[in-house]
Amino acid sequence: MGLKKKLFMIIGPVILAIILIVVILLAPVKYNFSSAKTEEKAAVSQSKNILGGSVIRQQALEDGYVPFIGSSEYSRMDSMHPSVLAKKYNRSYRPFLMGTGGTQSLTHYFDLQGIKDQIKNKKAVFIVSPQWFVPGGVSKQAFNMFYSPLQTTEWLLSANAKTESDQYAAKRFIALMSDGGNESILKAMQKIADGESLSGTDTNIFRMKLTILQHEDELFSGFSVPNRMQLIDRQTRNLPAKYDLATLDVLAGRFGAKGTTNNDFGIQNSYWTDRHLDGKGKFAGKQAKLNYDRSVEFSDFQLVLNQFSKEHTNVLFIIPPVNKRWSEYTGLSAEMLKNNATKITEQLKSQGFDHVADFSKRGNEKYFMADTIHLGWKGWVAVDRYVNPFLTQKQAKPDYHMDDYYYSKDWQQE
Amino acid sequence: MVSFQPYVNPIYFLYLIAFLIPIIIGILNGKRFRVYETIISLLFICLIFGGPKLHEGFNLILYIIFEVLMIGLYMRYRSKHNQTWVFVVAVLLAISPLSIVKITPAINNGIPSIIGFLGISYLTFKAVQMIMESRDGSIKKFDLMLTLQFLLFFPTISSGPIDRYRRFVKDYQNVPSQEKYLEMLQKGIFYIFQGFLYKFLLAYLFGTVLLPPIAHAALQHGGMSWALVGYMYTYSMDLFFDFAGYSLFAVGISYFMGIETPMNFNKPFISHNIKDFWNRWHMTLSFWFRDYVYMRLVFFMMKHKLIKSRITTAIVGYFALFLLMGFWHGVTWYYIAYGLFHAIAIVINDTWLRFKKKHKGSIPSNKLTEIFAIFITFNVVCLSFLIFSGFLDKLFFS
Repeated sequence: MGLKKKLFMIIGPVILAIILIVVILLAPVKYNFSSAKTEEKAAVSQSKNILGGSVIRQQALEDGYVPFIGSSEYSRMDSMHPSVLAKKYNRSYRPFLMGTGGTQSLTHYFDLQGIKDQIKNKKAVFIVSPQWFVPGGVSKQAFNMFYSPLQTTEWLLSANAKTESDQYAAKRFIALMSDGGNESILKAMQKIADGESLSGTDTNIFRMKLTILQHEDELFSGFSVPNRMQLIDRQTRNLPAKYDLATLDVLAGRFGAKGTTNNDFGIQNSYWTDRHLDGKGKFAGKQAKLNYDRSVEFSDFQLVLNQFSKEHTNVLFIIPPVNKRWSEYTGLSAEMLKNNATKITEQLKSQGFDHVADFSKRGNEKYFMADTIHLGWKGWVAVDRYVNPFLTQKQAKPDYHMDDYYYSKDWQQE
Repeated sequence: MVSFQPYVNPIYFLYLIAFLIPIIIGILNGKRFRVYETIISLLFICLIFGGPKLHEGFNLILYIIFEVLMIGLYMRYRSKHNQTWVFVVAVLLAISPLSIVKITPAINNGIPSIIGFLGISYLTFKAVQMIMESRDGSIKKFDLMLTLQFLLFFPTISSGPIDRYRRFVKDYQNVPSQEKYLEMLQKGIFYIFQGFLYKFLLAYLFGTVLLPPIAHAALQHGGMSWALVGYMYTYSMDLFFDFAGYSLFAVGISYFMGIETPMNFNKPFISHNIKDFWNRWHMTLSFWFRDYVYMRLVFFMMKHKLIKSRITTAIVGYFALFLLMGFWHGVTWYYIAYGLFHAIAIVINDTWLRFKKKHKGSIPSNKLTEIFAIFITFNVVCLSFLIFSGFLDKLFFS
């Protein structure tokens, strides 16, 4: 064998591998491996890869799933959880849970970029937690944890540098991205923050990167989706065959009573022990200084609203309470919580978001909360009282009129 | 300016291959472009130590000047005299920068020393080795250029494998035959792809996908838990595939440059006992400690009749070796405990082997006992990695 042939035998496979990779990653096709099973698993997985990806969510929303956006409350999968009720009573919709501990407005703003077409003229449910509205909003660490290059690139390609909302979003992104983030993305963000549009070359490069990222998402995000379907199925077995809100509410009270036996605060036993909440007076008065009514989060939230308005999505907003007995013990200010709910409601209603279920005053109802801040048994039943009719009945077309004032420091600090 | 952690980013490999092509073509045609090689080496060293890590780059330069001076001066001295104290002082001086880097965080609340840089340990092993072999008379002539090429060989600069000077120089001064080089290329490609499998797939699976939730569960539970057991095995797998993957890259790239850098791992998890394990795990490090610490110490003790019993001599040697290795990893309780653990394990292993030899007829030895031996060794090793991981420190002391 000559040198050339020998060399080819050695290097040939490598070149072939490189060509294959380039073709697979850059081919202008859409790989679709998601099945009904994958969608069902992904819808209750609350997994970071699913939220940070697009293809599985897109497919699911096209198949009748509805985005349930929020944060850690969705992890409380008791029998009254929206995913359990929808399955048990064979509703016309199925919740696709988007959110877990650490996802706040800004993360959701970016993850919505991946499902813009799917929420257009459709419905969604959004649980907006008062705890998001600490003065600095989302923490750097949480934002970076859910950072998705795919959705960020998608956003960059559709951003309009002339609008206040996109400039604001870019500024927030730069402020929160940790060092060592992708340089080209940061540079493009800076341009938009400064009101400059991306150049043609920038756009072409980002388009190519988007193709690679999309293919990566299509090929890999279906792997290792946590399977919680058994958990959901187990919970459906505790429910009566016939749907009746009053019966469910009584049942919820019974489950709640059974689950909160080791403390006087109506906090789930496991939460109470795992978080060591019993430490003798350790938490008394500890939350007196917490502040949820002056926060940059109000403007981050405005970004999300703006996206819904653009897509004409009809959204039901739910403002959950905090466990009153616990918050009185820790000294969390009731006045401040009230201001938080009032401000959120004002921001919503003044811009035409009329479906608001404000539960902020119901923190004293027994078994409404699963623990200190998360909705549980009776709280979920109360949610269903709004969610079921909202999603199963025809709703009037929303009429939104957005106001950039909500991006201002004045509003954040009001 | 950009800075690269070697072998972490796919782009790094693309750069690497692009710049190596002239070298590969050269060697295929029986030529080494030494000037080009040197320029490329310097370029990659700049890439590794540039940009935000520039202060590390300056530290590297100062360090290299210092070590080369030590080696050069000692060799010059050695060509005329051979006093033990001079040798001891030279070795101590050569390891002094590393000692400072290792001790500083322990006595200064975890703040790293300002003279440190990525790979200082591995350079120290190479420098000390040269001084020791000059003392032996195995390295006779000081050659500045070769010394620099050896110390700064860029594929292995950050984390080994630790080559030997005489072996390296032999490769460097020769050009492999075309046939031999084709074989090396083939092996190099294989190693690099094996490295991709290890580092980017398996280490990712164990370290990035599986480990964090297990660690979280173990911390939530606190104390002893099944999650902790899971952590032990998962961490062990991550440690192996991450480091073995990296080592394969370094060896593969060396092969492209016509240098047969020794392998670092040889299926360590099928070891039959701890001694076997250390002949398979991080081999270039354990052989270094064997040749330059253990053997020398044992020889010294025997020559000066410090300890009569050969068994006791070996035990002292093992403890010295593994304690030193523990300290080298870092001056924290768990690295030192890891060293002690292995010293004890290997002493027990030796005792058992002697016992087995004495009672040859009465102890069964078959496929089943072999599997049993592998099983025990594997678990003992994983337990030692759990200590090594520092996770127990987080679990119990913070």
